[in-house]
Formats: sequence, structure tokens, C-alpha cells
Amino acid sequence: MVLEVKDLTTTYGPVTALDGVSLSVPAGKVTAVLGANGAGKTTLLRTVSGLVRSRSGSVLLDGQDITRVQVEEMVRRGMAHVPEGRGVIAELTVEENLRLGSLFRKDADAEERIEEVYTQFPPLDSRRKRSAHTLSGGERQMLVVGRALLAKPKVLLLDEPSLGLAPLIVNQIFTLVRHLVDSTGLAVLLVEQNAKSALGIADTGVVLNLGKVVATDDARALAADEGLRHAYLGF
Amino acid sequence: MQQFVNITLNGLTVGFIYSAFALCLVLIFRATRIINFGQGAQAMFTTYIALEVLQRSGSYALALLTALVSGFLLGGIVERVIVRPVENGPEINAVIVTLGLFVGFVALAAIVFGNSFEGFAAPFGVRGISVGDATIAITPNNLYNIVAVLVAMALLLCLFRFTSLGLQMRASAFGQEVARLLGVRVGRMLTLGWALAGMFGSLAGILIAGGSFISPSFMDGVVVFGFVAAVLGGLDSFVGAVVGGIVLGLTTNYVQGYVGQELQTLAALAILMTVLLAKPGGLFSSSVARRV
Repeated sequence: MVLEVKDLTTTYGPVTALDGVSLSVPAGKVTAVLGANGAGKTTLLRTVSGLVRSRSGSVLLDGQDITRVQVEEMVRRGMAHVPEGRGVIAELTVEENLRLGSLFRKDADAEERIEEVYTQFPPLDSRRKRSAHTLSGGERQMLVVGRALLAKPKVLLLDEPSLGLAPLIVNQIFTLVRHLVDSTGLAVLLVEQNAKSALGIADTGVVLNLGKVVATDDARALAADEGLRHAYLGF
Repeated sequence: MQQFVNITLNGLTVGFIYSAFALCLVLIFRATRIINFGQGAQAMFTTYIALEVLQRSGSYALALLTALVSGFLLGGIVERVIVRPVENGPEINAVIVTLGLFVGFVALAAIVFGNSFEGFAAPFGVRGISVGDATIAITPNNLYNIVAVLVAMALLLCLFRFTSLGLQMRASAFGQEVARLLGVRVGRMLTLGWALAGMFGSLAGILIAGGSFISPSFMDGVVVFGFVAAVLGGLDSFVGAVVGGIVLGLTTNYVQGYVGQELQTLAALAILMTVLLAKPGGLFSSSVARRV
């Protein structure tokens, strides 16, 4: 397992946002976490990457306990987290945003790898020196995914990548993620409200409701389970 | 005509110093959304230290170096020890803490260095340069002030534009959470920002002191004008701070020269109100609307 979450509980004051959540993400697989607004999906990712401290439970990356590791350290350990709402730094240029992605990697080929991102996402290429706030929603998503991959993570946490994007763009991004997972063995923990699209590219689905896991199953099996779909997934 | 040239040159000199001071307020505001009201008092304190060095060693270069290094250290220590605990709390807490810094440093300076005025020798001549048979009001010391501020600004610009450290500092200022997720050690960047601001403030302090007198309250006026300059520029723009400082320096000098000295401060207030009425965000605010 690349990423293992065991019995994770997170509270905000008196509110329990995550209640004993366990799940795992193997290399080369996509695990999708689904559920309604307020189910605890974003809190799950924020707790895993250390932005929020858990009350109990543990997070393991490649078998190592990283529950108490500082956020800044996570990316060095091999975890990249693309937060909800794109996470571009709008005041910086496209190029600067990308340079931040390979910041702590001392690889000699950092420049080349930035060029690869431009090849992969041509719309970014023509906007290198432009401020990131001029980008469209889809381009911003390309930028943050490209930037996260520059850190060469073992596991990628994606929070609502489809939010506010046209279906065509969502499809493009999901296809790209799936391709990366298959070709590089990247592990992806995907959080989505758009359950139908997410189950389309996921291997495993985990359904959250009010902070608890109510179902974990093969993605296709989940998509076929009509009762569950109606109750929690809204399609 | 000669009077106009002289007033303009004087205004520029003063303006550059306001700019330098506005820059350090902007440095801190961008990174932590805090106005450091203690900035002037910190600079006053390091200028006193520099004066001690100057009096003992007789070397201005050594005094300048002392001012810059102690300003850097003081800024960093203030952030790490005093400001850090209130950084994420309500804004009013930070305001009160920095006001406390102001009062504290002024009091401490009065205790340590005394409350009287002390002369600070100018490093360069303070007599106007002669061109033909006219004497221009700009002195070698004025020129030194302008050049010193310009060099410092250029170095700061290079740091922010062309180095990885500068990029990390900007990322920390504009997107703290994202920066942390990308592995930027945001805490260190904030300390560094305050340290750089402290250094810039100390530079402004020692430049103003040169050829003049210092006392525990000698920076108070500069704080006010520097703050106005920073607000004019939008509080989070380096260019804005520089332009704001120069505009303010020139205007207050024109008012002083052609209208009357007593109206100088009023003029600063008038400019501030006019700009804020027309452009509430300041002239060069670089913040953009952010999706939340």
C-alpha cells in the first residue's frame, strides 16, 4: 500500500468531522472518496496531508507513520495535495507557479520537466509569463495538476478537481489522471461530489456520510448498487 | 526656477527615504497582513546602536553595517518571539502588540541611551553643489541617501524577482496554505520578511539621522509619512510604496516651499484622502479577487 489511513478521527471543536475513517490506496490505483456536501471528504484530505491535526488514528505512507509530520515535510516524503478551489497562487505567473512545484527537488532536469508540463498542457505554454489569475478554470486545474506532478509524488490527493468545470474539461483531466496512474504507478486519492465521473476512472470507491465510511467497494460494483447510489451519491 | 529645482531635489531626497520606510511596512503587510507600528521605533533603536559604534570607532561604514545587521536581527527576533503568537489571531491583537513594540522601544531607548538629542555626523558633505554661479540645494549627502535607497531597492527587487528564496517569500505572502503544501517553510519566510523589513527600516533610520540629531522619538514623523506613502501605494505593492513615497516627498516639499511649512502635514492628509476617495485600494494594489 502506498497510502493507508487507519481509524482517522478529526474534530472541529465539538463537531466530529471524521469518525474513524479507514481506507487505503495501492500504487497504480485510484481510490475515489464520494459523498454529499459536509460528508467530511475535504477534511479527510486535509487531515491526511497534515493541514488539520487528527484527534486519533494514523496515516501511513509507504508503511511509515506520517500522522504527525509537518505539512511542509509531506511533499518531500512523496505526497502532493491539490486543495479544493484550484490552489493556484493567482499573483504569481504560470511559470512561477510551476517553479514552486519542483522547488525542493534538486534534480538537474527540473527545467526540462517544467517544459514537459507545457507539452502536456499546451494552453499553459502560451501563457508562461502571464499572471495566473488570467487563466480559465480548466487551465488553472491543468496548472495545479502539472505543478503537483513536478514534485514526483508517490501519492496525489485531488480535492474536487471537477468543481465548476465544463464536462468536457473534467473528462480531459480525469483521462489524464488515469493515464498517469496507469503509466507511472502513481497512487491517487480522489475526492469528488461528482460521483458518476469519479467512479468512471476509479478502481475503488469509498462512500462517506457524516464523517463515517458507509461503503467501500470496487468502483463498478458501487456504480451498479442502485440503493447506495440513490441514498448517498445522487445519481 | 532655481527655487523650483531646489525644492524638487529636496522633495526627491525626502521622498526616497519615505519610500524606503514604506517598503518595509509593505514587506510585512504583504506577508502577514499586519502593519508594524513598531517599525520606526525599531529603526530608531538600531540607529542609536549605530551611533555608539560611530562614536567609538569613527567609521561610518562600520556604523552602517551595524545598523543593517542589528535591524535584520531585531526584525527577525520581533517576529519570531513577539508577533508569531498573535499572527493568526484577530487583527486587533497584532495592532496592539506592534503599538506595544513602539512604546516599548521608545521607552527602552530613553532608558539606555538617554532622552536628549544627540548629533549624528553626516557621512558626506552637507553643502550644496555649485553649478556655474548657482548653488543647487542637493548635497553630496543627499545624493548618498538617494543612491543608498536605490541600491537597496534594486537588491530587494533582485531577491524577489530572480531567486528561489524570493519566489518562496512571495508564495508565502500570497498563498500561505498552498505554499506549505508545496513544501515552502512558510514560518521561516515570514521571519525572513520581518528581518528584511527591519533592515530596510534601519537603513531609513541611519540615512535620516546623518547630518541631523537623533532622539528616542526622531523616527515618529517618518513613520507617519512612510505609512501614508504605503497606503497611497496600496499597502501590498513595492512599486506603490516607492511611488507613494516620492509623490508624498515632492508634494509636502512644494507645499512647504510655496505655501507654508505649517501646512506640510495637512497636505499629506489631503493627498491621502484624495487618493483613497478615488481609489480605495490605493494606487497600485496588486491583490486580485480570489475564489474562496
